[in-house]
Amino acid sequence: MDGRVVSGDDARMDVGFFVTCLTDTFFPRVGEAAVRVLRHFGCRVHFPPQQTCCGQPAYNSGFHEHAAALLRRMPKAFASCEFVVTPSASCAAMIKEHGPQLAGVQADEVRRLAAKTWEFCTFLRDRLHVNIAACLKPREPVTFHYPCHARGIYEVTDLREWLGRLDVRPPPRTDLCCGFGGLFAVDFPELSGRMLDDKLEMLAASGARLVICNEAACTLQMAGGAHRRGLPLRFRHLAELLAESLELMEGEA
Amino acid sequence: MSRRSDLRQRVAQATRNERVLQAVHLATWRKVDAREQSFAALRHAGALREKAARLRRHTLENLPAYLAQFVERATALGATVHFAPDGPAACRIITQLAADRGLRLAVKSKSMTSEEVGLNAALEAIGVRVVETDLGEFIVQIDRDRPSHIITPIIHKDRREVADAMARELGCPRTEDPAELTRIARGYLRDIFRRCDLGITGVNFAVAETGTLCLCTNEGNGRMTITRPRVHVALLGIEKIIPRLADLPVFLKLLARSSTGQPMGVYTTLINGPRRPQDPDGPQELHIVLLDNGRSAILKSPLREVLTCVRCGACLNACPAYRNVGGHAYGSVYPGPIGSVVTPLLYGPACDDLARLSSLCGACRVACPVQIDIPALLVALRARAADRQPVGKRLLLRIWRHVMEHPWLYRLGQTVLRCVLRGAEDGWVRSGQGPLRNWTLVRDLPRPARESFRRMWEARLRDER
Amino acid sequence: MNAEPCERSRHGKPESGPNDLAAFLCRLRAQMASGERGAALPEVSNAALREVTSEEGLADRFVASARAAGVQARCLAATDWLNAVQEVLRGHGARLVVVAGQTGTALDDDRAAALVNALGATGISVSTEPNDDVLFACDAAVTGVAAAIAETGTLVCASGPRSPRGVSLIPPVHIALVDERQIVGDLFDYFARLDPTTLPANINLITGPSKTADIEGILVTGVHGPGIVHALVLAAP
Repeated sequence: MDGRVVSGDDARMDVGFFVTCLTDTFFPRVGEAAVRVLRHFGCRVHFPPQQTCCGQPAYNSGFHEHAAALLRRMPKAFASCEFVVTPSASCAAMIKEHGPQLAGVQADEVRRLAAKTWEFCTFLRDRLHVNIAACLKPREPVTFHYPCHARGIYEVTDLREWLGRLDVRPPPRTDLCCGFGGLFAVDFPELSGRMLDDKLEMLAASGARLVICNEAACTLQMAGGAHRRGLPLRFRHLAELLAESLELMEGEA
Repeated sequence: MSRRSDLRQRVAQATRNERVLQAVHLATWRKVDAREQSFAALRHAGALREKAARLRRHTLENLPAYLAQFVERATALGATVHFAPDGPAACRIITQLAADRGLRLAVKSKSMTSEEVGLNAALEAIGVRVVETDLGEFIVQIDRDRPSHIITPIIHKDRREVADAMARELGCPRTEDPAELTRIARGYLRDIFRRCDLGITGVNFAVAETGTLCLCTNEGNGRMTITRPRVHVALLGIEKIIPRLADLPVFLKLLARSSTGQPMGVYTTLINGPRRPQDPDGPQELHIVLLDNGRSAILKSPLREVLTCVRCGACLNACPAYRNVGGHAYGSVYPGPIGSVVTPLLYGPACDDLARLSSLCGACRVACPVQIDIPALLVALRARAADRQPVGKRLLLRIWRHVMEHPWLYRLGQTVLRCVLRGAEDGWVRSGQGPLRNWTLVRDLPRPARESFRRMWEARLRDER
Repeated sequence: MNAEPCERSRHGKPESGPNDLAAFLCRLRAQMASGERGAALPEVSNAALREVTSEEGLADRFVASARAAGVQARCLAATDWLNAVQEVLRGHGARLVVVAGQTGTALDDDRAAALVNALGATGISVSTEPNDDVLFACDAAVTGVAAAIAETGTLVCASGPRSPRGVSLIPPVHIALVDERQIVGDLFDYFARLDPTTLPANINLITGPSKTADIEGILVTGVHGPGIVHALVLAAP
């Protein structure tokens, strides 16, 4: 089902778009794609300007006070939104899994935020009842990366399902970590680099050149590694593929 | 143990050892596949893991009672139970009883706990010869090396090195054939087994209900160690207790599958006291040494989940960090994911950095038969150590937080970043300064977008329809 | 947890021994008293977790699992046992054999005596109460078992006045006679039948020949225990 809603304003859902700091800074096209797709399926999309970062890098490194400070800004920033949708599963997981524990006296607020926060693909499928696979137009063989921190938000099987109609060449060991790990990437760069080597080898072995990656941090790591090593791999978020397939955006070279 | 710059250097150095890492890659991937296949064949894998996890957690929460029960039952079976509050105490107890009985030749079946307390050195200091009998540990011993994996100690060695060590130390004709090397070791150790008077083992599980010790091995050296010498010493951490005999099969069904992908290990040995008066063989004395050495402190902390570990090694095999650095770089008796948690807890803040040797990918948690949430424990350890991080790093994070708390600063920061990260004509940064230097050591960085999302939103996207 | 007053060690000094352990447990109990008590003791009942749920075809299942573990296992008619054992021993060129009969097993006293006679008649040296020299020099040992487990192809040997631990461990070849009726289905079944009050000093669950893969992951059998294990499953009459 295409799911495009054509009835009046009242039927539209209010979605607060949480773009995330990395996507905002490095991959704005992903944000653009996601917004267009949400609108296409009948959402009224807002971009609360107070948003910055969910605090995940600080949380994972053990700087919980800093993480909490940033997390606690979010309920207010998204107060007027019925839903909060983000293209990053790891940021969604941060808010939903760790938010309440960091919330302190704002526990209730954060819990409410967590309850209305959604990762982009699962929002399309579960709230908007979009058949993602049916929307995608095959163009070239694709492979994919399953981000470690998507666990608990969606599984490998979900990603496979969403890519259903495409010519999918799964890489060996689909859930192998790309080696980013937040500050780990710069704390132990040689080790991060070797883990990256392993990952790129798997992706290259798939035979496809287009890698579906729904995580900005992983894309930074893998695209940076592919470029350094001269590998012909391109990285796209599923939102971009969707937007292009639905002709809401031009494809990129 | 491991200090900050030491660890970074050790890791960097380890990542350059191609030969070792190739061996580690091969071995760990093989184990990962074997584990996955073996679990796929197990009908109730999920439910078994659930139950195993609950049994372990329950036992830990009630450990004093179960320990008391175990001691009472084991003593009733004729064992002598000792308590060692720390490593030196364990060594004292064991060297004392060896000296008292004039024991001279000890055989040892693999025991991480004995390595933790440095037992071999303590025994040798009083003139007791200690011979490792697990093939991998035996080779480590004769080559004066260190084990790099808790289940397969010489995962980092190839047959050439083994051949060199054995020819050199045993004076046998040099061969690189694994079967032949094993045969030589077997013959050598058989002679030792005939003559030994002290046997030292670890323990996989100790059953409170019956006072039973359970030993899981594949080679048969464990059985030899509890059959041949007249005195058997079993050393175990206090966390190894399980409540009832009927709980043992829950763990047995998971252990070998997690370790090596076999449905069952070759030898599961249940020990109920020393030999009975009418038994033709077996040790006359069984000494059980219960070791604390920091475990009770962990028990009282929120991180006690780490004590539910059954030492299967599955997390090491699953870990992409371990795979790319090998066991030695951890600088600890316990390497890998479980080691990154247990080492700082047992050995203190000097080892804090080990908790950062992880991308938190969670492969370990998926592989763990008792569902230990290692990434969560690592984050908790990092939080405890945050104040001891370098001043520069803490300052940077403080600044970063400040920027993120003020959207106008954040936007300014984006502009600054874009200016600073000019990069090459193709829009990629190949070498950076300061914190970015480490990034560009091993990968490039795309230049920040000319127009950030929020600029684009304000300029066009917001009002589009 | 009861809040018991902690006893001091009589000498007030840190020493090993039961006193110290009692003091340690007392302290630990007190320190954990305020802690969480989340996990109740799970029920023993493992019925829902069993791999082997049927009582049928256990002998075949045992043979299949045992073979998968590297055991040379087969079923045969009970009357063929003597020929089968002799054939196996001949196949290994055995000249010195240990025979460890045990009441209540498939190698009971009658059969053990018959085996000793038969082997002696063909010029093979036999020992029923081997000393170390014999044990370390013999070519094979023939034993019964205390039980067998179909799920994993496991043989269970228990220590006792007439079954030394070393017999199923030291010789290079181990031949185990199993009565079909001794086979239980699941590992859970075996442990459910153990009487916690009458456990022998040593029980060995043996699943295949001794093995290692420590050197480059290459599988090698016959490290310290027997490199060859035969399981002859005798059909019930």
